[in-house]
Amino acid sequence: MKSENYEELLAEYLEGDAAAEEELFARYDRELQVPAELWASVEERIVPVGTSSVKWWLRVAAGLVLTIGLGFLILLGRTKVDTIASLKLPEQQPVIIQERAVALKPGQSIKRIKKPIVADNPGVLSTDLGFDLEEKDTAKHIEQTENLLRSIRNFPLSDTDEEIDVTYDKALSRRLLIENVVLRRDAEMKAKFPTKALLSDLEPLLLDISNLPDRAKPEEVRAIKERLQKTEIVAALMDYRDSER
Amino acid sequence: MMKRLTVDELNLEGQPGAFAGTLMNSSADLVTRVCAGDSEAFRLIFERYSRPVISFIFDMVNDRALAEELTQETFVRAFRAIRTMRRETKLSTWLFGIARNVARESLRARARAVSHIELTDKSVMDLSDKKPVPVDGVLSKELNDVIRRSLAALDEDKRLVFTLKVLHQCSYEEIAEITGFSLAKLKTDLHRARAEMRRRIGAYAGVGYEV
Repeated sequence: MKSENYEELLAEYLEGDAAAEEELFARYDRELQVPAELWASVEERIVPVGTSSVKWWLRVAAGLVLTIGLGFLILLGRTKVDTIASLKLPEQQPVIIQERAVALKPGQSIKRIKKPIVADNPGVLSTDLGFDLEEKDTAKHIEQTENLLRSIRNFPLSDTDEEIDVTYDKALSRRLLIENVVLRRDAEMKAKFPTKALLSDLEPLLLDISNLPDRAKPEEVRAIKERLQKTEIVAALMDYRDSER
Repeated sequence: MMKRLTVDELNLEGQPGAFAGTLMNSSADLVTRVCAGDSEAFRLIFERYSRPVISFIFDMVNDRALAEELTQETFVRAFRAIRTMRRETKLSTWLFGIARNVARESLRARARAVSHIELTDKSVMDLSDKKPVPVDGVLSKELNDVIRRSLAALDEDKRLVFTLKVLHQCSYEEIAEITGFSLAKLKTDLHRARAEMRRRIGAYAGVGYEV
């Protein structure tokens, strides 16, 4: 149907004429244009698959380079710390006393001259002495802890004691506990697992001693003594010191 | 006169990037070329289908700027998913399906903001006038406006079915594929949509049409 008269067309449409409906809506104008820039916007957002995969690989490569770079920097930082540690001055060299043999005339007495001779030049720094400050600290810590634990283990307890003064042991234990935590973390970071394991075993004991009251009851001390014997921690400390020598 | 979604009517000869023979530019060929990485072929698809797609989206959302934005989104999604398109699917049906999803997502997002025009809405009823109806090639601006408003007043499903069937001349099978509705539902929706549209347009013409 082709109608030029809209009144007629509308009337036919409203009466339910299918052809009129088709014509009416065919003439419906949305006044809509496809903007010229619409394709440009679409084109911007559609990246060819090949290019996007290349970009993806580039991103992966950049990530890898960054990771390697960071790892290298971390390693470099660690090496520097080691070098500084190894540059610490060694302990003063022992003094060697040399005695000279002198031919004496009868009745003549001479003054002995004792001349100190230094075996090595103390001004020269050596980096290959295998000197590790942290290891030394750990060894010193282990020794002090061993002494503390020994003193507690060997502490004579009698049934008549009402209270035992452990103020000193407590203070020492507290200091050693703090030190122990630091050294254990260092050992863990440096992957020194036997050291870490030993220090981990020490920690609860040191903690219990630190938490004793200043005037502890004999049963409290006895409990710690029993734990020391049961765990054989003192023996473990001795073994560690022997193996480090 | 409104352009229809009839691929045969389009003559791409002479257009930049178009092949000389239209046979080589069939939708299936274009899809194959896009899948092979030819972005120029996708530009041809855009040129061919952007108008019906933007019209369809405009019918659905009744907002010019939003329709442009959603058309862009439709073609971007189409490009990304073109490899998943089944061979037996018509490109236009497939594009309308994407456009429908994009429009629906947008409508859902602004569901609360959209104010539906009720059947008794004054803005529709007041458009009735007694002036002589123009007799030139296009409908009067007022009648266009009434159709647009009446469409917008339909509920989403009815609007979708009516738009596809009456304005875009899709077959029932195509509408079912685009919408996922059963044939029974879409026929019912279409019948009701037609009745509602007649009532509203009848009000404009000053005819007391009752459903």
